[in-house]
Amino acid sequence: MLNDLQLNNILEDFDIAYWKINLLTKEISWSDHFEALVGTPPTDESLFEHFMNNVLHKDYRYDYRVAFENLTLGSEDLNQEIRLKLKNDKFRWFECRNLKRKDSNNIETAVLLFVNIHQSKRDQYTIEENFFYYRETAEMTTTGGWYIDITTKSIYWDDVTKKILDCPKDFNPDYDKRLQFYAPEHQEQANSIFEKCEKYGIPFKTELKMVTLYGREFWVQATGKPVYNEEQQIIGIRGVLQNIDENKSNELNLQNSLDIIAAQNSRLFNFAHVVSHNLRSHSSNLSLVVQLLNEAKNTQDKIDLIENVEDISENLDVAISRLNDMVSHQNLLKKERTLVSFKQSLDIVISSVSSLINRESAKIIAEFKALKEISYIPEYLESILLNLITNAIRYKQPGRVPVIFIQTYSVNDQNFIEISDNGIGIDLDQYGDKMFGMYKTFHSNPDAKGIGLFITKNQVETMGGSISVTSTVNIGTTFKIKF
Amino acid sequence: MGQKMELACIIDDDKIYVNLVRKIIEIKKLSENLLIFKNGLEALDYFKIILTNMTEEKLPDIIFLDLNMPVMDGWEFLGEFIKIKNQFDKKITLYVVSSSIDPRDLERAKSFNLVTDYLIKPIELKKFEKIFDRVASVA
Repeated sequence: MLNDLQLNNILEDFDIAYWKINLLTKEISWSDHFEALVGTPPTDESLFEHFMNNVLHKDYRYDYRVAFENLTLGSEDLNQEIRLKLKNDKFRWFECRNLKRKDSNNIETAVLLFVNIHQSKRDQYTIEENFFYYRETAEMTTTGGWYIDITTKSIYWDDVTKKILDCPKDFNPDYDKRLQFYAPEHQEQANSIFEKCEKYGIPFKTELKMVTLYGREFWVQATGKPVYNEEQQIIGIRGVLQNIDENKSNELNLQNSLDIIAAQNSRLFNFAHVVSHNLRSHSSNLSLVVQLLNEAKNTQDKIDLIENVEDISENLDVAISRLNDMVSHQNLLKKERTLVSFKQSLDIVISSVSSLINRESAKIIAEFKALKEISYIPEYLESILLNLITNAIRYKQPGRVPVIFIQTYSVNDQNFIEISDNGIGIDLDQYGDKMFGMYKTFHSNPDAKGIGLFITKNQVETMGGSISVTSTVNIGTTFKIKF
Repeated sequence: MGQKMELACIIDDDKIYVNLVRKIIEIKKLSENLLIFKNGLEALDYFKIILTNMTEEKLPDIIFLDLNMPVMDGWEFLGEFIKIKNQFDKKITLYVVSSSIDPRDLERAKSFNLVTDYLIKPIELKKFEKIFDRVASVA
């Protein structure tokens, strides 16, 4: 049998201290190591009371006292996790339990072991804490984890991943149908990055459009890394995916706003340029007249020149009223959107240009069945229709009755109108980029003022839409507006 | 001094401006004849016909080219004119004349070798005389 000193030395190596309790006298003695841990006890107080009041953390006093009494009565084993205050005044976790005796007949002495479990307790807390942070982060950032086992061809998703993809918690993803969770246009990309990771161990971090179980499309950021076995063979891929739809759509919206602002800025610049140019061209003519007046030798020459002044003032007047027109079109912006019926708008436009339509016996066919109305500024819609219809009639193919076909429809919640004609068409290779510019006229038509399409484009874009054109010379032109 | 140019050319859609320049040329006796086109395409067609040698028409000594015009503007005309200018057997002096004071237009015009200068409207009478004199004495 080991003596106390030997036992103490062995146990000290394992950082284990102990009490010996004489079950008959209830006398307690501390091992040297225990004393070394908690400090030398005072002599005027019983060891047990000193321990209870000064060493044991107060949270465990009641339970410990009960358990200790049960132990000394020999009725129950003691096994508790407790915190003790050490010499340095710091609390540490210990596991406290009695040494079980094989021969239950001879129980004079009980041995109570104190095992330092502080490190493992702290690790456990850290793990719990980390797990808590991981779960909170995953929830807050909607980031889910996934694993693909290549050897068994199976997929594992955590709860967040299932939530992101609108799948119930007991959903088991099917390996063969894994691509159905990617948007059609991204399936090839998804397939290729998984394949690269599986075959060559190339990790990935990418933005993809996924589709939930119910077909809702959204953007994710996905990362994936290969998992190797001990033979350094790739056995799986694991990674996380984060729902970034909100960020992505904000980003796209921002880019869209930026594009619109840039376009408007450039139009404003163009406008300033046009204003300057138009006013200057008249003032410079005026200046030429003045110079010529100074040079004029006789009254008749002077009278001839005065006629020019009349023309110039007339032209200047026209120029200013056109600029006013443009500014007043811009002012409509302050008006609010209302639900506008396409048919009503078209009727207003047709009645306002009925003389032109009748003169050319133009035919206007409208199909508003698929999309009857739209939230828009009524004046804008009328102005857009007016510009495109009068253009179509004005640039008709000589000898051909002008036919204008107007159709509204909507695709993927996106509303469109198309206005097609059978007119002379336009060579887009030559004029395409200038089509919507200010004062661009492509035909030697005296009516052409060159601001109609500029205003139309301006109005469409101010409302957040876009306009495009397709045309074939001698066949006709189609304008397509995305609202 | 005293030499008179044979043929000047104006490409401009502003009728009043063209009439006034015509008057200046008449009063100051700057050129024998004057060609007037109201856009780039009409001018280009004229030059292309000359190149076919099927006509008695002559090449001008000087061209005043406007920028903003319908059908074919000054820039497009310059682009087309560059392609055919080497086939002419005489030097043609070309001035861009515009009421645009946009520095981008000025920059762009100067980037063409065949543009002698960019003149901002209105041009003073004396400047007109100088230009005609210089070109006529070289010719």
